[in-house]
Amino acid sequence: MQIVLKDFTKTFDGNTVIDRMNLTVRDGEMLALLGPSGCGKSTTLFAICGIHRVNGGQILFGERDVSNMPSQQRNVGVVFQNYALYPHMSVFDNIAFPLKVRNDSKADIARDVRTIAELTHIAELLGRRPGQLSGGQQQRVALARALVRKPDVLLLDEPLANLDAKLRLEMRSEIRRIQLETGITAILVTHDQVEAMSMCDRIAIMKGGQILQIDAPKDMYHNPRTSFVAGFLGNPPISFLDGRTMDGRFLDEGTGVTLPLPAGVTVANGTGLTVGIRPEHFGHAGDVPVRGKVVFAETQGRENLYDVALPNGALLRSVQPARDDVRPGDEVSWQLNSAAALFFTEDGRRL
Amino acid sequence: MPARSYLTGLAFLSPALFVLIGFFFLPVVLTAVFAFTNMSTSTGISGGSYVITGNLLGSLKAQGVAPTVVDALSQASFVVDEQSIAKAQAAGTDAQFLAEIEQQLSGKAFSEERAFERELKSLRYRPRSIRDLKLAVDQFELSVLNTRFASAAEAREAVSELVPSAPADVVDEIVDASYTGWRWTTSNFTRLVSSSDTWRLVGNTIFYVAVTLSFTVFVGLFLAVTTFYLPAGAASAFSMLWLLPRITPVVLYTVMWKWFTWEGGFVYTAAQALGLPAFNYMKGSVPTAWTIVIMVNGFIGAAFAMILFSGALKAIPVQQLWASEADGASRWQQIRFIILPHLRWPILFVVSYQTLSLLSSYQEIWLTTNGGPGRTTTVWALESFNTALNSYTGNLQYGLGAAMALILVIVGVALSILYLRLFRFDELLSRPKIEF
Repeated sequence: MQIVLKDFTKTFDGNTVIDRMNLTVRDGEMLALLGPSGCGKSTTLFAICGIHRVNGGQILFGERDVSNMPSQQRNVGVVFQNYALYPHMSVFDNIAFPLKVRNDSKADIARDVRTIAELTHIAELLGRRPGQLSGGQQQRVALARALVRKPDVLLLDEPLANLDAKLRLEMRSEIRRIQLETGITAILVTHDQVEAMSMCDRIAIMKGGQILQIDAPKDMYHNPRTSFVAGFLGNPPISFLDGRTMDGRFLDEGTGVTLPLPAGVTVANGTGLTVGIRPEHFGHAGDVPVRGKVVFAETQGRENLYDVALPNGALLRSVQPARDDVRPGDEVSWQLNSAAALFFTEDGRRL
Repeated sequence: MPARSYLTGLAFLSPALFVLIGFFFLPVVLTAVFAFTNMSTSTGISGGSYVITGNLLGSLKAQGVAPTVVDALSQASFVVDEQSIAKAQAAGTDAQFLAEIEQQLSGKAFSEERAFERELKSLRYRPRSIRDLKLAVDQFELSVLNTRFASAAEAREAVSELVPSAPADVVDEIVDASYTGWRWTTSNFTRLVSSSDTWRLVGNTIFYVAVTLSFTVFVGLFLAVTTFYLPAGAASAFSMLWLLPRITPVVLYTVMWKWFTWEGGFVYTAAQALGLPAFNYMKGSVPTAWTIVIMVNGFIGAAFAMILFSGALKAIPVQQLWASEADGASRWQQIRFIILPHLRWPILFVVSYQTLSLLSSYQEIWLTTNGGPGRTTTVWALESFNTALNSYTGNLQYGLGAAMALILVIVGVALSILYLRLFRFDELLSRPKIEF
């Protein structure tokens, strides 16, 4: 089901946290709300599920305006960061709870719970208590409970934050598999760009209560609309160099790095610009040689990570296939791929 | 070193031990001791003496002691012999008069005071005043009636002397019955078991505890849950208001209930204005008296329960409440399926704690209905208090009251053990019941 937020506004004690936000989540799509803490992503999620009341604007589930409905009537499935399982109920009763409170028959409840338990691979745990389950199993129970009554939308609030690294990887693909199998519209709130990029069809990056950009992960990565978006996506992160335009080219006076501006862009001479260079575009292939000193090296097995300090102190990151001929302190001259460089104005907008 | 550290430990513990022994064990032990005696105001709590009274003789006769012996005991006689003359001399009777008595009347006995008096009046050296004469007469009286004997042997001797014909076992019976001090007995318990009043008291007590307890738990739950859903400011004002019964001194609190329910009080006036029956609700009828007793005690307990329940409610992770709302649970379903299960242990605690405290509490009833009308709202603890320490007639029956108190202690300990077992308090204390 398509979810639409129209001019959604939320205030807490007179502070406007989110001001006239607009967002459309397509039917069957999984969308990530990604941003640093305090950006309003959880607030948005809780407003969609009805825990927070809307102070302005509309929330539409399909054609249905749910803005002023309590949670109970919205038909949403929510997975909380700490799972919020009911500790005094068995796994079966936890999953059956949404069906029980709407007075489904016992036979229907048993059938639906079993179906969803098989989908989430917890059929053999139904008799246990939440306290007897591992974190990953609790996560599956929470998912099953959220999905059992076939909600219009599945809302996931930092669902992987409480898991260890290995389980996180496993549950990432599990949640995506279940979402795809059920075809449910889902919204994932996370501060982890890897989760957002690996699990979702589209990502909405938020900052200060505003959506900065909403795009598919790949487009977002290659075509960030602002320097904030460029900096938020990518691990290791993008490096920035400050400079100005000179005869239709970018010149960093401190380091002497000169780059051609993208085709079709005309900027007045002397305009301040920032150029963003992703680590994979500096080091092994390119057209602009840049000299610097390696100040940090990190081996990650398959590839190596280097921080190169330019003469004026600016840092460029480089990620390259593993090699062991470069050590911290070495002077290097590596190629920079100018075609992949991203140019931003001083206020952060992409050229 | 270990010995020294044990001593240090003991030194630190000693205040607690003294308090425990002095204010708990000692009273319980004394209660147990008193319970097996017939101590009362009339026996005193120290030893007694042997006194044969007219009342005692009456009851002895009723118990089947030979009437001849009883009559002989009840009669005074006047004997002139060496003993009585010596006694009179010691009392300061005129020596000439005494010599004359010895000379003329020695060895004689009179069964009537008047005859002896007449005989004395005829003597030459008799005293001038009738009063002195009477005093002299008194010295020759030989009687056990109302004489205080310090020991059983003395009493036995006196009785045998007066009624030489009485068999030894009859004398023993009489002397034994004349003892005025307390003695060891189990009669308190047999009396309690055989008395029909006891069973009515037991019924009253069970009714009082059960109904007050239900009131406490339901009102406490209601208050806690409603304040839980109120905005913070209103909730704290509301719960402060409901704490008043708990923090008001008992006497003040009960006086307020009196103003509330007595003639001319709030309820009375309101009922009158509405044309409903208006009377002293606290003492005017059994149902209203019980209602007030239960409310007076129930609100105190409800305030206590509310605090406990509110604390437990705040410990429920808010996400569980959110989750249940998103799952479609209505307010009532949320209370029924999420909140109440979380409150299971606090509820059990309130039930067990309040059972014990209600069983032993009487002050609120004493200060309001005082067990009335009649004795309809009298409970075990109040009756025990009245018997031992607050008798209207002035005869405080320490022994019987202690026996009642001892039964209460035994019931309380038994219930505590039952609760500990039933609700597995050890588990409750060792592990948090609310999992996150």
